Amino acid sequence: MSKLTIFCFTLIFFVSGVQAQEITFAQASGKVVFDKWCTPCHGRVAGGLFGGFGANDLPGTSALGVKYKGDLPAVLEDRTDLVPIYIRTVVRNGLYGMPISRKTEISDAELEGIIAYLTQPR
Amino acid sequence: MALPPNLSEAEFAAALREFEAAVGADWVFSSDEDVALYRDSYSIYWGEEEEIIASAAVAPANVEQVQKIVHIANRYLIPIYPISTGRNLNYGGAAPTLTGSVVVDLKRMNRILKVDDKRNFALVEPGVSYFDLYNYIKEHDLKVMLDIPDPGWGSPMGNSLDHGVGYTFSPYRDHFGAHCGLEIVSAEGELIRTGAGAIPGSDAWQDFHYGAGPTIDGLFAQSNFGIVTKMGIKLMPLPETYLSGTVTVPRYQDFQAMIEEVSYLEDSFLIGMPSYDSPVGGTPFGPSPITELMQNGWPSLEQLEEFVVAQNKPAWSVTLQFYGPEETVRANWAAAQRRFRNKIQGVDFQEGDFYNLPIPDEDIPALPDKVRFGIPNLEVFHLVARNPATDNGPPDGHADMFTMTPRTAEGVHTAARVLAEAFQELGFPPATHPFSAPATYYSRAFVVAILLPTWRDASKNSASRELYGRCLDKIAEVGMGTYRTAPAFQDQAVSKYSFNNNALLKFQEKLKDSIDPNGIISPGRYGIWPVNMRNNRG
Repeated sequence: MSKLTIFCFTLIFFVSGVQAQEITFAQASGKVVFDKWCTPCHGRVAGGLFGGFGANDLPGTSALGVKYKGDLPAVLEDRTDLVPIYIRTVVRNGLYGMPISRKTEISDAELEGIIAYLTQPR
Repeated sequence: MALPPNLSEAEFAAALREFEAAVGADWVFSSDEDVALYRDSYSIYWGEEEEIIASAAVAPANVEQVQKIVHIANRYLIPIYPISTGRNLNYGGAAPTLTGSVVVDLKRMNRILKVDDKRNFALVEPGVSYFDLYNYIKEHDLKVMLDIPDPGWGSPMGNSLDHGVGYTFSPYRDHFGAHCGLEIVSAEGELIRTGAGAIPGSDAWQDFHYGAGPTIDGLFAQSNFGIVTKMGIKLMPLPETYLSGTVTVPRYQDFQAMIEEVSYLEDSFLIGMPSYDSPVGGTPFGPSPITELMQNGWPSLEQLEEFVVAQNKPAWSVTLQFYGPEETVRANWAAAQRRFRNKIQGVDFQEGDFYNLPIPDEDIPALPDKVRFGIPNLEVFHLVARNPATDNGPPDGHADMFTMTPRTAEGVHTAARVLAEAFQELGFPPATHPFSAPATYYSRAFVVAILLPTWRDASKNSASRELYGRCLDKIAEVGMGTYRTAPAFQDQAVSKYSFNNNALLKFQEKLKDSIDPNGIISPGRYGIWPVNMRNNRG
């Protein structure tokens, strides 16, 4: 059993005590993949937005804060409007400075996990 | 779909079937949708006829599969292009150097084979990222520190083989200089290990990288002579503490004395990477506050000194970094101040950050400039991410123009001047100026860096291309070159290293013809074309 699988089960077990019926395996495993590939740019900001080069904020979150100006959350995990085709398209095509992600990096199954995680009811 | 040169669809289909037999059908990517994932996200030819497009990709899981791929490529005369993590953005990304090549995607070969914190090295496969290696070191509580480039998702092996650079002590931030031992699949499919790794049963592969006789390791960096499948990396023992201190000097003409003193400290291994800046001029990446001063051409020394006085700021600064036990970092900072004080009138000092290492996990998210501590991140993408100034249309990528200069004030100023001329000749405001400060990625040379935007819009990239090409030409006129560039500029960049009627390139071509007689490995990479493709040089 891979470390990833063990971690996913651990996560499900941990979460199940709180809201077992709401977290699927795909969502839990999707969070693991999201944390690995997306959080370094799109995670929650540590020190405020627009810090710029060398600062301690995150480029993706900062960029979406500039783009949406508060109309939508800058943090992807706070969004409720994301739909699967949009997430799939951005991951596979890139967007602005965000590059293309290949299937050897994020497999189709892992991408579906990210989609499940980001589109889960909040 | 692109096809490999001189191959029919039927022949290519047969080759793909052989690739599938070698690595499994799931790991051969040949549909248009899948091959599109191997486009260069930052291509300066995006959507144009000249954009370099792969014909397929094949992703082996181990060395034996790499050898099989090489044998198949030789049988069908298919050009193949190995990538490690494929994140070499700004230098080609996951795309090849020749349209129709089959990308050999080594991302699945992602084993960390060894990290030794007593002998201070790691041995990794190509698909390992800096994030992976950092996490491994943390999980195993190993007392070593990485030297990393800006984006943490890159490959330590791939970055080293592209002459990538970092941010700590000089022996470590030249990443190829810090490699220790290679395993290579030759262009004919033979497995080679360098240094002590060539001795059967040796336990000293990463300790002794010369072996006996000529070293060949350098042939596999920025080149196309084989596929590297393992690499050793020298690691720095985890320092006990970190201290930074900033030195400022008042006059424009103090820069040379400042450089000489910093070079003394760095070449004596008393400091880590120095970071030069100009309080009156901005950073190499920042906007220039002296546009008005340059409106009538390059200012005279008198004008520059007057400008500095009028700004009421120091002309130059350098931030020094000290790694080691607290006693020694404080002593080295004190010694540095004493030496500067004896050398430059009016010098001033500001003590900066002090940290005990390792930095606790809870403090890392808010830590600025994580690369100083070898903590991988992606924060450098601020350079291209949408910000208030680019809200109407952020770029889709960047093409970085790196000018290597001698470690002198004159070298930096000359590069800044000719680069400014290149911009002005083409009608653009100059990106460099008399206060442009050098980067010190390599300890024995300076880098004057310019970032040009790239776009996924065929109508917009020609200006960046023209500027980039003009910059390469202009710096060569004053005896300077670049250290690394995207495939679009590799022929032009290496053509400047033309001493004695291109003797260096001719020698490399002789090697290519001998080592890779079918010319299958990465044709055109860094200007080295196989004999049957030399008319591709452009």
